[in-house]
Amino acid sequence: MRRRTVLITAIVAAGAFALTACSGGGGSSGTSSQHGPITIWYSNNEQEVAWGKQMVASWNAAHPKEQVKGQEIPAGKTSEEVIGAAITAGNAPCLIYNTAPSAVGQFEKQGGLVDLSKISGASSYIQARSGKVAEQYKNTAGDYFQMPWKSNPVVIFYNKDMFKKAGLDPNNPKLSTYADFIATSKKLVAAGVAPNAILPAPTSEFFQSQFDFYPLYAAESGGKQIVANNKSTFADQDGYDVADFWATLYKDKLAGQEAYNGDAFADGKAAMAIVGPWAVAVYKGKVNWGSVPVPTKEAKPASDVWTFSDAKNIGLYSACKNQGTAWDVLKYSTSKAEDQKLLELTGQMPLRTDLATTYADYFKANPAYKAFGDQASRTVEVPPGPNTVEMLQAFRDAWSKSVIFGKQDTKAALDAAATKINTIAKQP
Amino acid sequence: MTSTLAERQGVVPSSGGATPGRGRRKRRPLGRNPLGLLFSAPYLLFVLAIFAYPVGYAFWISFHDFFFAAPGAQVARPFVGFTNYVTALTDPAVLRSFANVGVFLVINVPLTVVFSLLLATALNKATRAVTFLRISYYVPYVTASIAVVAVWSFLFNGHGLVNSILGPLAPSPSWLINDHWAMPIIAFFVTWKQLGFYILLYLAALQNVPKELYESASTDGAGEARKFFSVTVPGVRTATVLVLLVSTVTGANLFTEPYLLTNGGGPDGASTSPVLIMYQKGIEQGQPDVAAAIGVVLVIAVLIIAFLQNRFAGGRD
Amino acid sequence: MAATRRRRGVNADSLPRSGRIARSVVLALGAVAFLFPFYYMLIGSLQTKLDSTTSGLLPNPANLSGTNYVQINDRINLFQGLLNSGIFTGGVLVCTMVFGLLVGYALAVLQWRGRGVTFALALLVQVVPFQLLIIPLYVLIARDYGLADNYLGMIIPFAINSTAVIIFRQYFLQLPKELFEAARIDGASELKLLWGIAIPLVRPALITVVLLTFIGPWNEFLWPFLITKNQALQPLAVSLANYITNVAATASNPFGSALAGAVVLAAPVVILFIVFQRYFISTDIGSSVKG
Repeated sequence: MRRRTVLITAIVAAGAFALTACSGGGGSSGTSSQHGPITIWYSNNEQEVAWGKQMVASWNAAHPKEQVKGQEIPAGKTSEEVIGAAITAGNAPCLIYNTAPSAVGQFEKQGGLVDLSKISGASSYIQARSGKVAEQYKNTAGDYFQMPWKSNPVVIFYNKDMFKKAGLDPNNPKLSTYADFIATSKKLVAAGVAPNAILPAPTSEFFQSQFDFYPLYAAESGGKQIVANNKSTFADQDGYDVADFWATLYKDKLAGQEAYNGDAFADGKAAMAIVGPWAVAVYKGKVNWGSVPVPTKEAKPASDVWTFSDAKNIGLYSACKNQGTAWDVLKYSTSKAEDQKLLELTGQMPLRTDLATTYADYFKANPAYKAFGDQASRTVEVPPGPNTVEMLQAFRDAWSKSVIFGKQDTKAALDAAATKINTIAKQP
Repeated sequence: MTSTLAERQGVVPSSGGATPGRGRRKRRPLGRNPLGLLFSAPYLLFVLAIFAYPVGYAFWISFHDFFFAAPGAQVARPFVGFTNYVTALTDPAVLRSFANVGVFLVINVPLTVVFSLLLATALNKATRAVTFLRISYYVPYVTASIAVVAVWSFLFNGHGLVNSILGPLAPSPSWLINDHWAMPIIAFFVTWKQLGFYILLYLAALQNVPKELYESASTDGAGEARKFFSVTVPGVRTATVLVLLVSTVTGANLFTEPYLLTNGGGPDGASTSPVLIMYQKGIEQGQPDVAAAIGVVLVIAVLIIAFLQNRFAGGRD
Repeated sequence: MAATRRRRGVNADSLPRSGRIARSVVLALGAVAFLFPFYYMLIGSLQTKLDSTTSGLLPNPANLSGTNYVQINDRINLFQGLLNSGIFTGGVLVCTMVFGLLVGYALAVLQWRGRGVTFALALLVQVVPFQLLIIPLYVLIARDYGLADNYLGMIIPFAINSTAVIIFRQYFLQLPKELFEAARIDGASELKLLWGIAIPLVRPALITVVLLTFIGPWNEFLWPFLITKNQALQPLAVSLANYITNVAATASNPFGSALAGAVVLAAPVVILFIVFQRYFISTDIGSSVKG
């Protein structure tokens, strides 16, 4: 008798568990008028964590009823995986201060993002803050599913001490054309100052092309997007030239084919690096560096050189209940004062019009960032849409095979990748 | 195919549960049958929810235009027939990943069988330091891949210990970025890591080989080598079938090693595995439908291989 | 039974001397091959500055320190990670022990309709790779059950280890039937039979299963990585994997830090295994081979 009771209890418990478990799903989404506590995620690097913490603290001090809980973005190989999974699970936070433009199209398709254009005053706020650059962050229908936040315009850093040791002029390095860049690289490696002239990650993750091909193609083509109107543009002479340039670096063993498990530039494994302004803080006291714009085939004045933006934006996620508060926090955290803090604490460039004049004092006090501030107005973003990652992966695969490992003619590889990407771009 | 099978099998016991079997004890009018079912109910529920349902769901996804959506988002998921299968099987990257697993199995399975049987036989007869030897053989097996992968990449990277020892003999490009070596290194790694488990299986099987067989072989004047091949090898055939099966499943499961050791299947896709591609497509690129199709193909392939192995190596056992 | 079976040595004596030496060499080489990476892991994790040359093989007191461990502990809450791993693994162990024993007993001792199918299912579960189920499982558990960022969500997919079920069944099958018949005539219930007679007799199996089951969730990376977004809930394997792949690069000795992470993750299992290894004997698993 007792046994049966135990068993029945167990079954009832299991059933109850199943029922509660089933009813646990299905999130109800909030509206833009709801206010209350929210959670936000920010990037996990030291500088951005510092910015995030002070922003949350100052907001919370003034808004006791709408407390913000700030958290570092959870572990994962890329933030995008983590965010994508959180959207599916319905447990994404309200705001993520690390939303990559390459993933926004996919998140939008998943129904994970709130259309900011539907919030009254939002579009005008975004356009007033970022100006023309904001255009790149609209989706194909002209709506904002992301708030343009900050960019990390990519430039070349070089190790002045190594240049000196190799008998090169550390103050006027010859790095502006492909021919010069390769010649300089050869001298560096031949002099034995570093095993690699430069070492962008030679691995196959889709986003790696943003730090080898992308900036140079932007520079060479004068700011062309790699996909325009659902058609690849990169299989042209500019693209071939960029690919050949990198292929030469790899072929002549000026750039390594194996990823370095660490920071190659900081550890003296590479004499140059292709980096954004975050690097200023990171290499402070570690490397005596100088910076130049990315090279082009024929020399161009620095003020004409475009590059990759490496922007990170803010997304307002649909799982958020108190979207009213979220939008207020979004505005608060992109105010002129908070943008200044961002600049000061991280060195990354807020996507604001007239950076150089708005924060003139800052650039005067920190000349190291001036190059980035100038560059910030000439940046190219990744193609928008739900298939960006797939396109970038297709490109990366071709790049890896031909440019890095030299197993295919670079021109043929780019042509094939272009055809493949044209098909991908046509997918809904 | 697999899912319908699993579903059918999963459904049978729960629907047929109330039927009394051979009623035995007078105290229990329903006989012992329902009790067995009750004892098994949590497990059956578990298998249905965690195994059968996901298999069925994956099967369903593979025939639809499916992508992840936020809860509550209204999205259309039309039936698309075999489109996802065509997309998957015409993608050279997918085909490459299956070929890579083929390479993996060709290296891993024979090495596993030979080394585990050899070491198990030696260990079986060892008289000294048995505990120490046993611990040392099993330790890689009990340790997390993620932990030992770190050492292997330390050993085999371009500036690692192996290349410092080999000097000019080191392959160029180095092991993990050499498309001829990346997959073999992964196969060696997995062999090394899992060998302890297979040694355990063989040790057990060796206990069941009748000693008389060795004795009569000795009487016939057979040497050690002869005894090994004519008595030991046939004697542990059941275990060999299991080893073949388990290592095939392990190969089909390959994910952590290419994900961590070769930075996501590098160089240039030379060490991708189907599960890694599923992960890239499903989780990174937002195409869980294509990923599910790859998964179904993979399961069918594994089941076919398992069936063949059992048929030809297992014999009547 | 196990003890008598393991008594051997008859064959060892029959080997000529040269054969015995060859065997010892093979065994020693095997041990070196298996242990060397662990030795290197420990040495590497203690190096203040990376030394990947052959001289780095021997400990160099000038280059040894705990810096790498300190750096890890700054970034990851090792204690919280261990606790989470413990809860995750503990949950799986409890479920496997309770429900696995029940079903193992039912499969071996009781006669009921569906027994064969249940056993076939347990075998089938082993053949289908877990990774294939991950996407639907993720949707199911994170979304439909709302168990993301929850220990329960972490535990559920591993809750009842099917290998354990098969091992239990095998053990119960080996118990003499008369034992149960006699007790039943005395009016003992099946639960009492299981608890009072069957379980005490299969104690070695319990320890084997604990060890086997422990390894799975303790080392599992992909599932908890997907299901937990909250750092405070992540098991050690996940936070260390993240540390090794992302954060270690910024440490002063990236490889050393990654190896220190590896040591922290490996140590508890290896120690546990060494302590209990005498129970982890071949015949326990062996019985499932015959299944």
